[in-house]
Amino acid sequence: MSNIYRTKQSRRAGVLLIAPAVVFVGLFTLVPFLVMIWVSFHNWSLITPPKWVGLKNFEKAFSDRQFWISLTFTLKYTALLTPILMIGGYLIALLVAQNTPLRRVMRTVVFTPVVIGLGASSLLWYWLFATDAGLINKVLLDLGLISERVIWLGTDATRSNLAVIASITWKVIGFGMILFVAAIQSIDGEIIEASKIDGASFWQRVWHIILPLTLKTVLLVTLVSVIGSLLAFDQFYIMTAGQPRNQTATSVFYVYLNSFPYLKLGYGAALSLILAGIVLVFTVAQMMLSRRAQG
Amino acid sequence: MRTKTLGAVALLLTVALGGGASAQDLQMWERSGGNAPMVDALVAAWNEKNPDRKIVLTYIPHTEMVPKLAQAIASGEVPDLMGLDLIYGPQFTSAGQLEDITDYFKDDPTIATASPGHIKVATWEDRLYGVPLYADVSALFWNKDLFVKAGLDPEKPPTNLTELHDYAAKITGIEEGVYGYYLAGNCAGCNIFTFGPLIWASGGTIEPKDASDMALQGDAVPKVLEWARMMHKEGLINPANQAENGETFHLQFGSGKVGMMGTGNFNITLARDQNPGMNFGITLLPGLETGQVASFAGGDIVTVPKGSKRVEDAVDFMKFILSDEVQVEVYAKLLNMTTRGDMVDNKYYAEEPLIQDVAKAIQIGVTPYTLKFFELINSPQGPWLQMLQRVYYSDEPISEIIDSTRADMAAIVEE
Repeated sequence: MSNIYRTKQSRRAGVLLIAPAVVFVGLFTLVPFLVMIWVSFHNWSLITPPKWVGLKNFEKAFSDRQFWISLTFTLKYTALLTPILMIGGYLIALLVAQNTPLRRVMRTVVFTPVVIGLGASSLLWYWLFATDAGLINKVLLDLGLISERVIWLGTDATRSNLAVIASITWKVIGFGMILFVAAIQSIDGEIIEASKIDGASFWQRVWHIILPLTLKTVLLVTLVSVIGSLLAFDQFYIMTAGQPRNQTATSVFYVYLNSFPYLKLGYGAALSLILAGIVLVFTVAQMMLSRRAQG
Repeated sequence: MRTKTLGAVALLLTVALGGGASAQDLQMWERSGGNAPMVDALVAAWNEKNPDRKIVLTYIPHTEMVPKLAQAIASGEVPDLMGLDLIYGPQFTSAGQLEDITDYFKDDPTIATASPGHIKVATWEDRLYGVPLYADVSALFWNKDLFVKAGLDPEKPPTNLTELHDYAAKITGIEEGVYGYYLAGNCAGCNIFTFGPLIWASGGTIEPKDASDMALQGDAVPKVLEWARMMHKEGLINPANQAENGETFHLQFGSGKVGMMGTGNFNITLARDQNPGMNFGITLLPGLETGQVASFAGGDIVTVPKGSKRVEDAVDFMKFILSDEVQVEVYAKLLNMTTRGDMVDNKYYAEEPLIQDVAKAIQIGVTPYTLKFFELINSPQGPWLQMLQRVYYSDEPISEIIDSTRADMAAIVEE
């Protein structure tokens, strides 16, 4: 009897404990998501009543040239940025993982941009890359690395993309670094000592011991980085505005344009759902990889 | 001690409540930008005369104005007065989201001389939904100092696009970083404001009126586009302009590095502040032939959204800003355009020849009328900017560019 009582009581306590999270997720994730699905089947400008169009918004998306241009560009951006953040963040983490005063300072310096808002950092880099008044052109000219000022943003898609990647690397590389440092520091010191006694070089230790033991963190950071890159918006909205000729318009930028300035909420919702599906595929693939790594 | 604490709390509450809005106040939204000093002055003048029904003004970032208004309308939380970029007038009037103010103005003589471009976009099916809040017009500014250095007559601006090209060629390179002309390479709005008039003046059209109409009509269109490509190919326009997205557009003429530039009346005081010693003149933007001129008549209309409980007070504000006194003592005094054509002869303009030159533009100003202005013209992703970038920076045949732009615009209008 008392066992049953205890079970019922603990069940009630469990329900009460998870209730805030369930309510929060329900109200702020599930309900908006269901509303978005409903909106995606309508034409709705907010200032006129919604009109049922069935699957037309989805059909339109698949024949929309700009949608595919944006999606291809977003995947390209993700493919370029992710290795830079992963390899760069990991190398910095290897350099600063030990707890010495100088390394602590270095960790703080590299991590500081992470706490700056993405909008503010994008604006900062927009001005740093400015053709006439920008510091980057000035430094490159003074060092003799360029003979005339470079137009970094808005004229050449590859150059614009690289400029944005530079700004984002500065902004978020510290996030991966700090997680990698935590993972590296959690490795048992005796394993490292034993490998040193066995004569393993630094890079052998990294490749055969540190990397395998931190693989779970690497996969987690990769997942976060890939999702962040697939949903890139602020940096391109501010630094390139999608130019030149829409070649740097990311998928989310295109969703934003349709949903708000164009007031095509239904089409924007359909595009969002397609994008969410793509992100889901990446997430599932990486979770499977992660499980395999653990197994 | 407790009394002191309570006193401090009471004082804080008094200050907080005293500084905030009261129930009698009218709420007004307006987009942010260079218009702020003008609108601030109008509201201040109203508040001084109407202390019992003051206007509380809230600025919305101009890029967020349309979605913000749409959200407000959808949620029913609308302001009493709403400043609206005039090009979006048709979108909101046709959706039935603005109060019909026709009857309030049927006996008001000021409406007859109000800026025709503003009134056109504020009218839907012969009913009036707004009045001009302020006017911006585009014109050709020329730097007389650079004209002198280039051996040109500083009192003779170009009267057609051929002359404009020839003058630009003489000015370009006379000093380091000096270019003859200016066109923004990455700013749709800047181009409809300053490049659009070159097409209109020459007899061409830009956006389609409706689904049955074709975009970019007239023999002049390919000629003007060829002219623009030539200006770029010959290096008469700074290549760095390719990145100009509108952020620094208003600062270019005042830099003293540009011989001629299409810009707006707002640039008069701005250029003087930036470069007090610079001599410059203003004329109308020319077309292919001498005598052809045009301008973009922009600015904002002030409207009353459906759901406002203060329609009569809002209409009083509209009548107030159209009154003779406000036209002269607020608009003209600040060297802004008067929004009534019959008010341009005033004491403030008489002392300022440049504003008189700009005032001529409002008489011929063109305001596009379309329900899809943002998608067609203003969007950085839209066909207008895409067309211009292909013209300015590629070697694609102009005829192909025009054909594909027509198709893109038609697809948007047909939706």
